[in-house]
Amino acid sequence: MSAGWKLLKRGDLGAFLDSLAAGAELWVPRRKGTRWDFDQYEKGTDTTFPTSIIEVSAKALFFPRRRPIARFNPKAKWSVEPVEPASEPRIVMGMHPCDVAGVRYMDRVFLANDHPDRLYEAERNRTTIIGMRCSEMKPTCHCTDRNLSPDETEGMDVVFAEAEDGLLFRALTEKDERLLGSPLLAATDAKPEAKEWPKGRHLVPGPDELMDLYDDDFWLEASDICLTCGACTFACPTCTCYLVADEKFGDEGERVTAWDSCQFLSYSRETSGHNPRRSNAARLRNRTLDKFAYSFHKHGMSSCTGCGRCVLICPIQRSFPQLGTKLKERVEEKKSKARVS
Amino acid sequence: MATTELVPRPATLVKVTNESADVMSFEMELGDGSSMDSLPGQFVEVSVQGYGEATFAVSRLAADHKRFAVSVKRMGHLTKMLHRAAEGEVVGVRGPYGKPFPVEDWKGRGVVIIGGGIGLAPLRPVVDYILGHKTDYPGLEIVFGARTPGDLLFKEDLAAWARDSFIKLHTTIDFPAEGWNSRVGFVPVVAKDLGLKPDNRVAVVCGPPIMIKLTAVALRESGWPDESIYTTLEAKMQCGIGQCGRCNIGSKLVCRDGPVFRLDQIPSDSL
Repeated sequence: MSAGWKLLKRGDLGAFLDSLAAGAELWVPRRKGTRWDFDQYEKGTDTTFPTSIIEVSAKALFFPRRRPIARFNPKAKWSVEPVEPASEPRIVMGMHPCDVAGVRYMDRVFLANDHPDRLYEAERNRTTIIGMRCSEMKPTCHCTDRNLSPDETEGMDVVFAEAEDGLLFRALTEKDERLLGSPLLAATDAKPEAKEWPKGRHLVPGPDELMDLYDDDFWLEASDICLTCGACTFACPTCTCYLVADEKFGDEGERVTAWDSCQFLSYSRETSGHNPRRSNAARLRNRTLDKFAYSFHKHGMSSCTGCGRCVLICPIQRSFPQLGTKLKERVEEKKSKARVS
Repeated sequence: MATTELVPRPATLVKVTNESADVMSFEMELGDGSSMDSLPGQFVEVSVQGYGEATFAVSRLAADHKRFAVSVKRMGHLTKMLHRAAEGEVVGVRGPYGKPFPVEDWKGRGVVIIGGGIGLAPLRPVVDYILGHKTDYPGLEIVFGARTPGDLLFKEDLAAWARDSFIKLHTTIDFPAEGWNSRVGFVPVVAKDLGLKPDNRVAVVCGPPIMIKLTAVALRESGWPDESIYTTLEAKMQCGIGQCGRCNIGSKLVCRDGPVFRLDQIPSDSL
């Protein structure tokens, strides 16, 4: 796309959001109690776009925590009716590059599959992503170590960025240039400020080096105080593990998918009681390797986008990226041992 | 209509058979009359409305691909509800999913089937297939064990297999029992005692994880290379289609990349 940047004056933001909401369901970041989450925009409400990631990722907008896939009447014989996919147009505005990368990863899980998930596909198809460049990296952010950057635009339809006197917008796909046709936006020569971003906060060994540590004692030591609470998996924009269950409320029954966590003991426990990942260490290893090795094998990209939410949320402050430094040390130790022996 | 693969299709139970004290087989046909094109070793997800669904190997497929069976051990909530289901009732089915046994690749080689308990369920379609193509395979040997004589599944098939001169059948139970005149001992021990030779044969093993592991040890000791040993792995599954994540062994998913694996394709600690 050759289209340049357009300026929206700060005072015109409300009117612009109102115009977007007139043609589509509009979702924006909103502070709920102590944390920020995405919420549906209501006309005339004051809206602020945080300049870096917010506590809750946009994952649930595409793959809800609890998602009905079929409905049935529990009191009747077989009466399963599939849930119709949503189709009304939707705009999600204010997703940062790491969250958009999360959606790109989910696309590989749910769409690049012999059995594409049609409900997920419908959410993707009806959604225009107006992504936001970050104007700062939080101390926990490490997208620059994950082949991303606060300026990354891949996967966005429109990008916007903070500027001195307003917000700068730029269309990235043909179909969404129309969104920027509003008279409130004026062509400008201004560009978002280019910044040097810090790197090397949470380095992790490469997939092969990590696989060499599969049988290492490291996992036992690293997992000794892990509570296996699973908070990291729910906060993660690419953790999509789910369970399937039937729920009944009187005459109404729903088959749902719901987020699950590989950190839970029950996650891989078979009916017989056999559990291939009974120990905390086995589960911590599985998730770490899934983020930084298996995801490359399965989907050609790391499933860590460097958002740092697991770092923020971990109650014992021993999240996966934080383990990276220790893992790198272990790789070096092994190398030096190999040289000696 | 575009919906997710996760929504099951209705199927009617046409025959329910008690196999043992805690195993029942359910023969069913899809409600819309469509065929179930499963290959030996593939599995389906079976639902009881209101109680969820679980993964079961297809334990038999009729020649016309209309009627198929799953054999279910009563273990938890869903299997208990299935065991209560009667002929004529409707359940939900998704699939078939997973990679089948490469029976075509085995042409010209003898096949040894080694099953323990409910582990015979995914192997019966392999036996059926070979019996339907006897000229393609030089021979079939079956080792099947269960805890007690009453736990031996598919008694009619066992009787028919015993009569078939194409098949060398060995049945065993874990401990001596009154009226039992055949072998006694755990399957891996029996497999070792039989001195099964790898000579141009493939072995197909399924049973509880410990039985698979120890049978593999016994076969290796008898000179079998891992490239000639196949198994079908049990793993907790929900989606069956490579999305929900829980059945992974490293970067492989048992539901999508398996459940059938050749031993050299999986890490030794996954057994």
